[in-house]
Amino acid sequence: MAVPIAPGRRRRGIRSAEAAWGYAFVAPAIVLFAVMGVYTIGYGFSLSFATWNGFTPQWHWVGLRNYADLLWASPRYAPLVHQAALHTAWVMLAVPVLTVVVAFPLAVLLNSVRRLRTVLRSVYFLPQVTSGIAVYFAWVYVLQPDGAINLLLRSLGLGGLSQPQGFLGNPATALPTLIGITVWSSVPVAMLLYLAGLQSVDPALIEAARLDGAGAWRVTRHVVWPLLRPITAIVILLALRDSLQGFQTFLIMTNGGPGNHTNVLGLQTYRLAFLSQLDPTLGLASALGWLLFLAALVLAAVNLRAMRRLT
Amino acid sequence: VSTSVSAVRARLARVVVGLLLVLYAAISLYPFLWMVSAAFKDQREVVAGGHLIPHRPTWQTLADTWSELHFLDYFLNSLKVTGLTVVLVLAIYAAAGYAFSVLRFPGRTALYRLFMALLFVPGVTVLLPVVLLEHKLGLLGGHWGLVLPFVNGSAPLSILMLTNAFDAIPGELREAARVDGASELRIFAAVYLPLSRPVLVTIAVLTAIPTWNEYLLTRVSLNDPEQYTLPIGLQNLQSGAVQHYNVLMAGALIVVIPVILLFIAAQRYLVNGLMGAVKA
Repeated sequence: MAVPIAPGRRRRGIRSAEAAWGYAFVAPAIVLFAVMGVYTIGYGFSLSFATWNGFTPQWHWVGLRNYADLLWASPRYAPLVHQAALHTAWVMLAVPVLTVVVAFPLAVLLNSVRRLRTVLRSVYFLPQVTSGIAVYFAWVYVLQPDGAINLLLRSLGLGGLSQPQGFLGNPATALPTLIGITVWSSVPVAMLLYLAGLQSVDPALIEAARLDGAGAWRVTRHVVWPLLRPITAIVILLALRDSLQGFQTFLIMTNGGPGNHTNVLGLQTYRLAFLSQLDPTLGLASALGWLLFLAALVLAAVNLRAMRRLT
Repeated sequence: VSTSVSAVRARLARVVVGLLLVLYAAISLYPFLWMVSAAFKDQREVVAGGHLIPHRPTWQTLADTWSELHFLDYFLNSLKVTGLTVVLVLAIYAAAGYAFSVLRFPGRTALYRLFMALLFVPGVTVLLPVVLLEHKLGLLGGHWGLVLPFVNGSAPLSILMLTNAFDAIPGELREAARVDGASELRIFAAVYLPLSRPVLVTIAVLTAIPTWNEYLLTRVSLNDPEQYTLPIGLQNLQSGAVQHYNVLMAGALIVVIPVILLFIAAQRYLVNGLMGAVKA
């Protein structure tokens, strides 16, 4: 038999053993995070107060000048940032609204059918799964001047809408086209979230509305839509975040062109960081990255408040 | 009479619903259809353009793209990077999730919040410092230079999902195992991991898909063609001197097919996992 130990001491012994296990279990995650997360975030933050081209041995400290240059002071970079901010604002306005407008009805319709529901759900989810350079190249291909979209429009008798320069070549259509493709890739997750929400709606509520004589349209509009408002809030938050930060589609499909007409803030940051050769723009890139972070925080706070109000 | 009118109306409504659903299926599939179409055309036909179904379908384009352009090497590199990332994500964050869910230790809540706060840091903000750091450490240009940031990037979501999954496992199981003298490591490996298999599969798929497609960090990291992953190989096809869409789409198809197969194989887990996350 073991030596009897006072109950208090014994519990403390178990507790400190448990704490030791706890630290052991989180250690790998913490080490990786300390190097790849904390260190790089700190490094990037201090770089935002310096100028550097990535090659010279010394940073040149400039205080807040990078931020001032980006926001108003530099005649070279401030106009670029303003233009990119305007495009980003359009994307942030259009993508969340259009995503909800497409994904909610799609989920309601899909939820109303039995046959083929699983197959259709998989088909609708495909754009999310394959989101990447391959699919964006395919979009570039169909959007060419002699591509499939122009062909389709002409064969439907809508030749007036076709774009002889290609949808990405015409400055007036390039940004709306990219917005459309961003919506196309963000509908799948939104649709799935709505579907999950629809399946958790209490059938008794819908039955009650039916008995009161409400048709499918009114049930959806006055019962289902209000009940799913928290989901709409999540969908909008995700779409806003992606519109603010995402730029992969823009980099791959237009690289900001034609003539900067599709430049967005994320892309501008990437260009300053990696595509400026010997210009000392790394500090500017860091500063713009931190401005984006600030915007993301504001967004998250606003959204959190909105969600609290709704739920 | 009124019943037959309403029956006709109901049927009409069903037809309209069906048409709308099929229409969006077509929109979802649109670029893929043309990708497949171009990949099976020869050069003359793809330049002529026009029709979706190739008049002279050929495997030659795919075969040439695969063999002449080192796609096998790129494919194996992609597989290596994706495989390592998934394995490390599961190992590191399952352990962390166990600690956050089950074990009591000082600083637990603060550390958990720290990881969750990472969700708000934009990828592009840390991209540059990661590249600079890896340059210093000599990791830049190799596969580990991709794997480590990918693993760290998936920390918040993986920890969130695994902590929730472990929370759902009744504590009595752990107590019982402890009474039997099992160590924490054993309880974790023999009780908690097997019971959480659906979540582990969901996280594996949610990690594998974006890793397989990753382009932004990979593009600025890799210089040596021997290290290229598929997205960079594909990008090289486009920036080559002669650009032919049948070759480019054949390359795109090679990139996309493994992800689609993975999705089909694991979609039950993926869809249920995502839908479960909403309900929670």
